[in-house]
Amino acid sequence: MIAIRKRMLALFMLLSLFVGAAYAQDDIVIDFYFPSATANDAEGIFQGYADRFAEENPGIRINPVFTGSYTDTRNTILTELQGGGAGPDVAVMLSIDLYSFAEEGYIAPAQAFIDSMENGEAYASDFFPALMSNGVDEDGNIWSIPFQRSTPILYYNADLLAEAGYDSPPANNAELVEIAQALTTSERHGLLVPVAGGFPIWMYQSFAIAFGRNIVDDDPTAVYFNTPEAVAAVEFLRSLGAELGVGPAGGAAWGDTPVAFLAGQAAMIYHTTGNLTRILNGADFEVGVWYLPSGPAGEDGAGYGAPTGGGNLYIFDDGSKSQAELDAIWKWVTFLSSPAIQADWGATTGYIAANASAWEAEPLASLALEHPQYLVARDQLQHAGKEFSSYATITIQGIINGTLESILTGESEDAQAAMDAAQAQIDGILADYR
Amino acid sequence: MIAGAWRQRFVARALPYLLIAPTLTLVLMFNVLPAFNTVNDSLYKPARGLNAAGKPPEFVGLQNFADILDDSHYMGQRFLRAFRNTLVFALATVMLAVPLGLLLALLLNRPQRLRSLWRFAVFYPALLPLIGAASIWSFIFSDSIGLANAVLRSLGLPGLNWLGDRNLVLLSVIIINIWKQAGYFMIFFLAGLQNIARELYEAAALDGAGGFQQFVWLTLPLLRRTLLFVSVISFTFAFQTVEQLQALGEGGPADSANLLLYLIFQNIAERRNWGYVNAMTLVLIAVVLVFTLGNFLLFERDERGR
Repeated sequence: MIAIRKRMLALFMLLSLFVGAAYAQDDIVIDFYFPSATANDAEGIFQGYADRFAEENPGIRINPVFTGSYTDTRNTILTELQGGGAGPDVAVMLSIDLYSFAEEGYIAPAQAFIDSMENGEAYASDFFPALMSNGVDEDGNIWSIPFQRSTPILYYNADLLAEAGYDSPPANNAELVEIAQALTTSERHGLLVPVAGGFPIWMYQSFAIAFGRNIVDDDPTAVYFNTPEAVAAVEFLRSLGAELGVGPAGGAAWGDTPVAFLAGQAAMIYHTTGNLTRILNGADFEVGVWYLPSGPAGEDGAGYGAPTGGGNLYIFDDGSKSQAELDAIWKWVTFLSSPAIQADWGATTGYIAANASAWEAEPLASLALEHPQYLVARDQLQHAGKEFSSYATITIQGIINGTLESILTGESEDAQAAMDAAQAQIDGILADYR
Repeated sequence: MIAGAWRQRFVARALPYLLIAPTLTLVLMFNVLPAFNTVNDSLYKPARGLNAAGKPPEFVGLQNFADILDDSHYMGQRFLRAFRNTLVFALATVMLAVPLGLLLALLLNRPQRLRSLWRFAVFYPALLPLIGAASIWSFIFSDSIGLANAVLRSLGLPGLNWLGDRNLVLLSVIIINIWKQAGYFMIFFLAGLQNIARELYEAAALDGAGGFQQFVWLTLPLLRRTLLFVSVISFTFAFQTVEQLQALGEGGPADSANLLLYLIFQNIAERRNWGYVNAMTLVLIAVVLVFTLGNFLLFERDERGR
């Protein structure tokens, strides 16, 4: 018995020796938490990036930690920090998480790091402005850096449109309705907009922007949910299923939508650019991609628009980190947001590479040449707006989602009244911050 | 000699306490202490430890409870709806899954071909992890590609928007729960049935009691304890439901299928709601406690009466 124990002890000591050797004492270790919202091998890809980074930067080691979905990631980080733990050094979280983390004092603005760079101005201005809008506070300070970003776009079955005599996709809502009605059969939906299933706000924002006014602006204490534009947008969305019958009443579910499109059961869909690669690979028909149709304002193209979405890089520091650690952290952030990595990440996942120069880098440049659909997603960014974010983002997003769902499913018939009530609740919460 | 006797007495007295000490410590640390914290935290707004908008949290007494019971408050709206749904969900489960479990047990207690296979097939859902099973059901209930609608359409009926129609989605969740639980409850009833002595049925048959009479006058009374037990666990399970909702549209649309525990889980995400979260948790605990206690007392009295 004793002999065995001794042997185990020796083995244990030997093992710890190895571990100790592998983890050199002086290395700075950066804990990097990331979610995955795609089916790709994110863990493998990040490990590859981490190895590449370690080669270029001796003395800094990246510890990539996969933390589940966006929600899981957020909850993991909050649990660790609120329980007095260290938390990550860098994490990918939703771009709209800014104010809740800033409010708690967990994150450090990227602005100070950018200011300390030699070419900080050029670094920051290389990102598409629309993708920066959620990472910047009302005073213009940059907090987080775009990393895996997306927007909704219009996917259409070009073969079906051509059969019905349409050579080009709908440019505005009137054409959208006309084509959707022409292509609706008993076996097929003309248009699916995935607003069912708990998260209608993102798709809804497309319509609010198209109708002329986003529900948020730069001020995180203001929400515009009961404006005439906001009401008209949800009424239009409701009419698609309820009155026009081009899709199911109440809207389609998120996951069903691309499946139905690929199966030929939907002629047009609104969906995220994040699914572009999957849809292009999965379709046995010609897939067209175009800007989301403009609203009534858009004869001159002014009514185009989509919200942005996806995740940014956040730096965690409560003021206790050393300058050397902070420098290492910033190196990792600039590495991940560099054109080379963005081009690679965009091409493998389908996220929109966040900086303009990434589109001239390989492998993205050749991919875009082969499939111009990728460029549509990029070019729509010039019309894209801020994704919903404010103080108390999650709570207010919940109010908006609940209200939209109750209007879309017909529970609240009077959209204006329901949205007035929601706006009053939202103002009540935001009053603390004004 | 005296010292030895004293030691013996001490050991005899202390031993039980020593034996339960580890469990007691765990219960105190992980159940009682958090429960006290929950009571304390439920009295602060927006949340203990959070300086929202630079302001320290305030002691507000029972204001959080008043808010969650207020239909015009954003949290009250959601809480009251989830509370109603939870009651409907729990009652539906008790009233449908329990009798179904009993019926299956009666059918599968009789000797017949492939009995083990049938029992296994009925019990199988209970073995599946709920989150996986619910994900499969989300495909079955899918509007355009789902099996449920394919069946309806093949019968010439219109497809239903199972997970998108606010009037149907709670029903969908209940269906899954019944499918999942009935086979599990069947096992308890089967065990109960096999504890009933054969002779009783033989005697009843000799006295001329038919199958239905035997069931009403023999089986049911003798299964009373099993029935009570199964009803209690099915009711408390209903209050712990989370997984189905996670896989089936997160309680939506507009909370029309949201249940209490899941609503609490959803609101943990933002710390400014923790005052409400704690208040809701206490209400949940209170309901389950009252129910369990009530049943326990009934059960105890029943036992003593025998």
